[in-house]
Amino acid sequence: MSNLSENIELFMGNPWGRGVVLSIAIVTVVMTLIAWTIWFERKFAGRMQNRVGPTFVGPFGLLQPLADVIKMLRKELIIPRGADPFLFLLAPPLTLFFTLAGLAVVPFGPSIVVADLELGVLWALAFSGLLLFPIWIAGWASNNKYALLGGMRAVAQGVSYEVPMLLTALVPVIQCSSFNITEIVNYQIANGWVIYWPPGPGIFAAAIFFVASLAEANRIPFDIPEAESELIAGVGVEYTGILYGLLPLSEYLHTLISSALVAALFLGGWDGPFAPGMHWMILKTLTLFVGILWIRWSLLRFRSDQLLRICWYWLVPISMLTVCAAALSKYLLASGGSL
Amino acid sequence: MSIAMPSPFVADPYLDIDDYDSDADLMVLNLGPQHPSTHGVFRIKLILDGEIIIKAISYPGYLHRGVEKLCEKLNYAMITPIVDKNDYISPMINEQAINMAFESLMGVEVPRRGRWIRTILAEMQRVASHLIALGTFAMDLGGAIGGGASLFMYMFRDRELILDCFEELTGCRFHYNTHIAGGQRHDLPEGWSEKVKTALAQITQHLEDCKQLVVENPIFADRTKGVGVITQQLALELGLQGPIARASGVDMDLRRDAPYHCYDEVKVNVVTESSGDTWARFMVRLREAQESIRIATEMVDGVPVGPIFAGKVVKTAIAIKIKEGQSYVAVESPRGELGTYLIAGGPKGISPYRLKIRPPSLHAISAIPYILPGNNVSDAIAILGSLDPVMGEVDR
Amino acid sequence: MKYFYYALRSMWVTLINLLRKPTTDTGFPLNPRPRPERYRTSFALVHDEDKEEACIACAKCEMICPSQIITVTPGKKRESPATGKKRGYLDDFTLDLQACIFCELCVQVCPTDAILMTRSPHRPGFAREDLLLTMDRLYANEPHVTWGTASLLLEMQDPKRNLPTQEGE
Repeated sequence: MSNLSENIELFMGNPWGRGVVLSIAIVTVVMTLIAWTIWFERKFAGRMQNRVGPTFVGPFGLLQPLADVIKMLRKELIIPRGADPFLFLLAPPLTLFFTLAGLAVVPFGPSIVVADLELGVLWALAFSGLLLFPIWIAGWASNNKYALLGGMRAVAQGVSYEVPMLLTALVPVIQCSSFNITEIVNYQIANGWVIYWPPGPGIFAAAIFFVASLAEANRIPFDIPEAESELIAGVGVEYTGILYGLLPLSEYLHTLISSALVAALFLGGWDGPFAPGMHWMILKTLTLFVGILWIRWSLLRFRSDQLLRICWYWLVPISMLTVCAAALSKYLLASGGSL
Repeated sequence: MSIAMPSPFVADPYLDIDDYDSDADLMVLNLGPQHPSTHGVFRIKLILDGEIIIKAISYPGYLHRGVEKLCEKLNYAMITPIVDKNDYISPMINEQAINMAFESLMGVEVPRRGRWIRTILAEMQRVASHLIALGTFAMDLGGAIGGGASLFMYMFRDRELILDCFEELTGCRFHYNTHIAGGQRHDLPEGWSEKVKTALAQITQHLEDCKQLVVENPIFADRTKGVGVITQQLALELGLQGPIARASGVDMDLRRDAPYHCYDEVKVNVVTESSGDTWARFMVRLREAQESIRIATEMVDGVPVGPIFAGKVVKTAIAIKIKEGQSYVAVESPRGELGTYLIAGGPKGISPYRLKIRPPSLHAISAIPYILPGNNVSDAIAILGSLDPVMGEVDR
Repeated sequence: MKYFYYALRSMWVTLINLLRKPTTDTGFPLNPRPRPERYRTSFALVHDEDKEEACIACAKCEMICPSQIITVTPGKKRESPATGKKRGYLDDFTLDLQACIFCELCVQVCPTDAILMTRSPHRPGFAREDLLLTMDRLYANEPHVTWGTASLLLEMQDPKRNLPTQEGE
């Protein structure tokens, strides 16, 4: 028996071993959670619109996501004529792959992270930027003008909004002197959350990072690429069955990861007034996620040129200013107030 | 915020594509009959240069059902339930237009109570129709899943209150067949005015919510201001009427200028705006809905006592006989001027010789080749939503 | 900046509606919705006060139906056992509810108040035959009769009803 427990300790001590176990655990939990966030969103949206959401399938409609998944799995996969079959079939699983890869560096607790990379922030942002490729591929490979328009708009929007996202993600990095997300959270636990200390750049950076990650995930008010009333599901217009199901699934997952990143980078991660631990992280993530849902069901969408104008006119200059302010304040703090 | 377009871009509906810049890579996009936002089955062929529309050609006719030909063989009492499926969003007003045409040739004057009830029903139907217009417009802007859908649900919830009142009166929530040539078929039940007043008061309150949710929002202002401008001259040239023309500054309203029913006994404040863009059309509809609520609330208290029908009661299929005559009668529908041109004289006088309906939405969508070019595809959807066409009456 | 402020105001409206009681929480379609008195959804043929069939097979309803869904097959005219007078009788009567537009004109023209619209039963069927109302089904709907008879409608439409009490007609 002691041999077994020793082996387990060795296994868990080794980063590869930890990675395997935690990745299986986290991916399972998160994917199940995503299915039931769909349920929650439908109930939430229903209540906000003075109606109840699904009630029929299971008590309070709790089995609705299961019913949806079963329905999608049973549908026929149609490849339109003239579409490139390899690229067409490649794109949705690729979105899921990139999103799940971004999940790898998000810490849910003091040592509950699949891969505690030294460049964790960079990894997460890189994969959310790489997500544009499968969307672009799907838009082109569908042989449909609506999908093409959706794909082009998505790329324009994604590329533009990466700039403020990267710049404002630098603010916690500068403050906490590390790209490693776990170290950033530990620094915040020791010195106060980035969002309020030092006062000034943190709140602006957090707001801009939040807005930019909404735009990256193509959520309302920035959901021009999948504007349903114009482009009828944007790049996903020719997809059927589970291939289509993977596209909103990865969008929800991306939203969840963005809210987890905001919670970790700006809101102190698993810090809390008492008993710091995984539950605070999950609470913050879910609060932000509910906020994103709430925004979705209350606001209209921007037109694509207005979207880009907001990014380049307003968000990029302000994010550059926040980076400068963060660097200045860090220098002042480090050198003890003297200039 | 306007997009950069090749300036000066004067939208020319008769533009020959070959005359356009030959280097440009033009793409033809069908805003086809199957689309969530074309307000019915309606096809617009857009010719795009990048994302800017160069030319827009509209193809109505997907919902043609041959109503006018069918009416040539139906007796007069049977025409009403068929015709009130033209403009299926405001059926009361369809019925009123048709029956007024019949009455003008029969020489029958509807008694005062009947006319009063017709006015109240028309105003309530106008509110209900504008609620749908506002809700679907927000949905076009904001998404069927998303913020626009919230407003859509709120508008439909309010509309249900009005439809409940109609259900108490006639028995059907939609397509009532409560008008007949000579008056009304159903009289007001007990407690109807209380129900109407409660419903309209709730709707007034909810419209204020709508304002806060959508109208004040700068996203809405960015999407709609300056988009799809119909100048006053264009509106007069194309013969547009209703909220579209009123939003462009044309001060015309049949309820005030050529009063029918009991409109000469109430004050109708006509709402106009001068900018002629989609924002103006939205605000005109919103304020008209509020104005109609005021009129209906005022009138529902003082319904005069008396009969609701004049002339011979319809007891057989051939009761209504009109031997000869021609007449054109127009009413103010929520979309403009709904006119009926009736040539009587079918066999034995029991059915018309020709019944032509002048649908306001047909003239509204004739503005599409003029105002769509120069805009994005997103703006095209918003403009089409603001014109509020109902394909049932466009194609009949 | 104003985008944030007005976004919060819009979110406030949806929050208020979140906390309101939903209007559709009635369990429809399992719980039927209360309908007003004049709601019309199905048809019934009735018997008159002499316990005889009220329908005299005059086919006025067939002639006025805009959708032509009624088919009346008159039977032989014979003497009525209750009143002793000769009157028409029905042989067969079918009403195809699939094409009905619920206009109530057949009710209005019936001279003997025989066909009425009812408020129930309103059940969708599983086969087209469920929507074809034959004579036995129409008589079976008789207990559901509520409001609209021809006489009531004609009384409402009477041009001399409720005239103001002045001299003159």
